[in-house]
Amino acid sequence: MAAAARRGTWRTHGISVEGYRHRREGLPCQDAWHEASAGPANARVTVLAVADGAGSRPYSDQGSKLAVRLATAYYTDRVAAAPPLGDRRGNLAESARAVHRLLADTFHEVRDEFLDRTRGDGSGRPDDYATTLTVVVLAPDWLGTVGVGDGFVILRAGSEDGKPQFHLLPQPAPASEYSNETVFLTSPEAPDWIHTACVRDADVDGVFLSTDGLAQAALSSAGNPRQEPNASFATAVFRSLDNPGPDPEEDNAALANLLRSDRLTALNADDKTLLRAVRR
Amino acid sequence: MAGSWWDRDRSQDHTAPNPNVRHDAYADIDFENNAQRLPLVLCLDTSSSMAGLPISTLNDAMRMWAQELHDDVSLSASVEVAVITFGGIGVRAWRGPQMLAPGQPGTPFVPAHAFHAPQFEAAGVTLLTEALDMAMQIVAERKQELRAAGLQYYRPQICLMTDGLPTDTEGQLSDSWHRLGPVLAAEQEKRHFRLYAIGVGGISQQGLDVLRALAPAFHAHLHGFPFKQLLAMMSASANAEQKGAGDEVFEKIFHQFRTQRSAWES
Repeated sequence: MAAAARRGTWRTHGISVEGYRHRREGLPCQDAWHEASAGPANARVTVLAVADGAGSRPYSDQGSKLAVRLATAYYTDRVAAAPPLGDRRGNLAESARAVHRLLADTFHEVRDEFLDRTRGDGSGRPDDYATTLTVVVLAPDWLGTVGVGDGFVILRAGSEDGKPQFHLLPQPAPASEYSNETVFLTSPEAPDWIHTACVRDADVDGVFLSTDGLAQAALSSAGNPRQEPNASFATAVFRSLDNPGPDPEEDNAALANLLRSDRLTALNADDKTLLRAVRR
Repeated sequence: MAGSWWDRDRSQDHTAPNPNVRHDAYADIDFENNAQRLPLVLCLDTSSSMAGLPISTLNDAMRMWAQELHDDVSLSASVEVAVITFGGIGVRAWRGPQMLAPGQPGTPFVPAHAFHAPQFEAAGVTLLTEALDMAMQIVAERKQELRAAGLQYYRPQICLMTDGLPTDTEGQLSDSWHRLGPVLAAEQEKRHFRLYAIGVGGISQQGLDVLRALAPAFHAHLHGFPFKQLLAMMSASANAEQKGAGDEVFEKIFHQFRTQRSAWES
């Protein structure tokens, strides 16, 4: 479940691997990722999406796949059709509001269609397809993220003393005291939990998004409740996309090995998804 | 935040530790020991009625279970075990094989990968109520410690095992457990932990009624002393917790355990 592509100004790569429990029990991976691009070469929009199907729901593997495909389809369409931000450059606050609104409105469309499709002729139960969804939009002059659930997004932007700097985009407050409980696309309260963030920063030259299976590996609590990127993890996973080897399959296998390794399994036995983009 | 542009100057910059490019491996990633924790408390009756075969069966089962935890890649990093015994010299917490003195500082929780089973001896009275009080207290304290350390956790599990009736320090039957009913109900309503209450051996109907009152959804009477199965059920429940299973899954696991089928792993 992996692919590499060169589209627009970003090189992307995504991968999902089944977690330890699913592997041991022969169950499918319930994570999914997808990416799509649209628009002319000089104003390309790339959309990245990851989803984590609920472990307790029977069709959540289908739910996560449906969610990422709907998200990439809707966001490429809506963002490519939106007026360029350049027209609003004079008013930062107004342009930010417009992007937040675009991200949230489109998310409602994605959710509505997800509920329609999983309901089918009326006999389906959308809850059986429960999944989180985290989306990143790489527009020509801004970057946005939107989602429900416990996925997360890390940016690479700027440097200090020649070393790249990593930033965890703001996350919604946890939905529960417990780390394995979150809000799903199908949750009745999901509209209240849609979380958006947007960035205008020409120095952003890398981004990755992930489901919560990699939270312990990619984030550091450093002994306090405030989470930060684990710089050694971010460095390594951006490095391998910045400087790909001659054989994409080998690169993919190396990353899959890391995600399936005992040292990552010990941190989190859940399915794992990593979707990366770096400027070419 | 919503409605404005996020600015990286608002975030704390995090510097890459190693700018040297390495294509071939991810071996230089530093991982913290920040696995999601699953606190698990075994609250065990070691009173005089457990003397002989029951206590030796329990000791053997604990040793095997400790090894099984070590061998499970995921549980070994995630589960934290604390043991409380009631019997002998009263209610005591154990940090692995070491019995803690009353008031001794430090958590009794031990990471599963480092857990070694205590060696129990059976004697004394059945201070069941006080033992459950201590279980609730150490769970609340452990959650606070985990939060302060920025660590995420699953819903803790408490497993009570007894073959008798609650007594006072003189060994006289005590009804002090009555006050625990509403407390446990409120705590579980708030989902602060999950309590299993298991009666073993020759526990009386009156003893089972106590367990039913303490853990209405998750109480059981097992014939004999099938501690190995009991501990396997705790591991199965821990697995389900890690998978984010719904309440119905825990009920199924417990039902299979209660009816002594060995199929809960399926």
